[in-house]
Amino acid sequence: MTLLAEIALVAIAALVVVAAVARLPRGAPPGLRRRGLPPPARPAQLERLERLVSVSGASALQAHAHLRPLLAEIAARRLAARGLALGRMGDEAGRELLGERLWDLVRPGRPFPEDRTAPGVSASELAAMVRVLESL
Amino acid sequence: MTGSLSPRVAGLLAVAGAGAVAALASGRPELAVLAAPLLLFAGVGLALAQRPRVSASIELDRDRLLEGERARATVTLANHGASRAEVELLLAGSALLALEPPGPVLVGVAPGATTTLELTALARRWGAHSVGPALVRVRDPLGIRAWSGQLGGRLALRAFPREQRLRELVAPLATQPFLGSHVARVRGEGIEFADVRPFAPGDRARQVNWRATARRGALYVTERHPEHASDVVLLLDTFAEARGGAGGTLDAAVRAAAALARAHLARRDRVALVDFGGTLHWLEPAFGTAQLYRIVDALLASEIAFSYAWRAVESIPRRVLPPTGLILAITPLLDERSLRLLADLRRRGADVTVIEVSPFAHTPPGRTESDAVAHRLWRLQREAIRARLQSLGIGVAVWEEDAMLGPALEGVNRFRRSARRSLRV
Repeated sequence: MTLLAEIALVAIAALVVVAAVARLPRGAPPGLRRRGLPPPARPAQLERLERLVSVSGASALQAHAHLRPLLAEIAARRLAARGLALGRMGDEAGRELLGERLWDLVRPGRPFPEDRTAPGVSASELAAMVRVLESL
Repeated sequence: MTGSLSPRVAGLLAVAGAGAVAALASGRPELAVLAAPLLLFAGVGLALAQRPRVSASIELDRDRLLEGERARATVTLANHGASRAEVELLLAGSALLALEPPGPVLVGVAPGATTTLELTALARRWGAHSVGPALVRVRDPLGIRAWSGQLGGRLALRAFPREQRLRELVAPLATQPFLGSHVARVRGEGIEFADVRPFAPGDRARQVNWRATARRGALYVTERHPEHASDVVLLLDTFAEARGGAGGTLDAAVRAAAALARAHLARRDRVALVDFGGTLHWLEPAFGTAQLYRIVDALLASEIAFSYAWRAVESIPRRVLPPTGLILAITPLLDERSLRLLADLRRRGADVTVIEVSPFAHTPPGRTESDAVAHRLWRLQREAIRARLQSLGIGVAVWEEDAMLGPALEGVNRFRRSARRSLRV
């Protein structure tokens, strides 16, 4: 009786194993996969700006050397559309139109920062400057 | 076809081995007896397995279509062997073709019989696509051995860009003395009235304006503007692109270039194409339908080729850039090299117009605060770039991919009319 029970148990176990083996994944053979779509490409122009925003927040030198020319060009173009010239703008008019912080950064003849390791323009400060430029 | 053992064999051997080890460890031969059929099964399967003799052929119901359309692919499978073949088939295709069904298809083919399968290929984007070969895997009836390989050939399927009807085109500043659709500035034989002037020796009698002659008591003739063709150069910027999940600026630029080529050639203009990027390709100016097919074929091969090479205007052959031709640059304005080229062309006196393919639809702002600010700054920077080009006398039409191209061209024509005095062509 014990032997019969053991045989039955082993037989059931064998059936389970065979069923499990039959359900083994077949796997895709090499070459049975199609190529996908080309990967997304983020423009280098935008990536450069993202890096510029990051480094300008960390260093006043970077903000002066790289962020300032860009902001000055944008401000000059936007002011030119209103018949104004950034280069001939006085301190008072500049501050009034562009705000204290932006004018301080883009004003003509701005000296090189003395403390080059000082923090530059933070993202929130830059957001405020961009808002001013957008409203021009 | 290459044969290989099915993963099932490993499972069978593992179970049989485990049974044998268990039998040895426990001293019970029943376990080994139980494992024996598995080994027998694998052995019989290996002994009976025969290399399948299956062939396949692929046919397409069309070899060219418009992007967004479907082609039907018929795969015919023939079993030349003596036993039934269970064939798993996946039709290979270009990345930009959506083949339906997307996964492998399982089909049984009786000995000596043929079976046909119908699949569809959707062209998600323009391009020179390919369908095939069929990647097949055949198993023996017991699933012990599998043979896989590639059957059938590779068929070309050309997907042309979607057509966009253009009512208005950029009017060229100068025309060529060929019959066309543009009213030339010069005076000569034509339909459009230009002026009335006194008769001069050599004028034809049919030019005499009898009403003016009767009123003034002397012979007067009517002068007219002739209808001339112009030379148009389509400059496709392939230096860089912005690509999202579904498409990119190059896709849109090619559609715009194809639409412009078709419209200008329909107006009997001579059209040239310059693919200006990491690699340089060009087609010399020519008229007619044949040129349209040449241009579309060249556009289908367009791709972004990454390169650090600095290209200047000198690298474009002179015969491709007619001195009085209209240059239509289709560009996302993403690469400094293409901006320099446009400025250089304009400074050399060329009549340049930019059709800016806007990249914003494919480039959402980043998640962090600084990335979001950078994205806003990018918009302002691009406005400044546009203003820089316009200050040189280059008209810029900003084209969002979802919008019609025609209104953007109307806007640039207005700019060109207002800036004509500053253009010196």
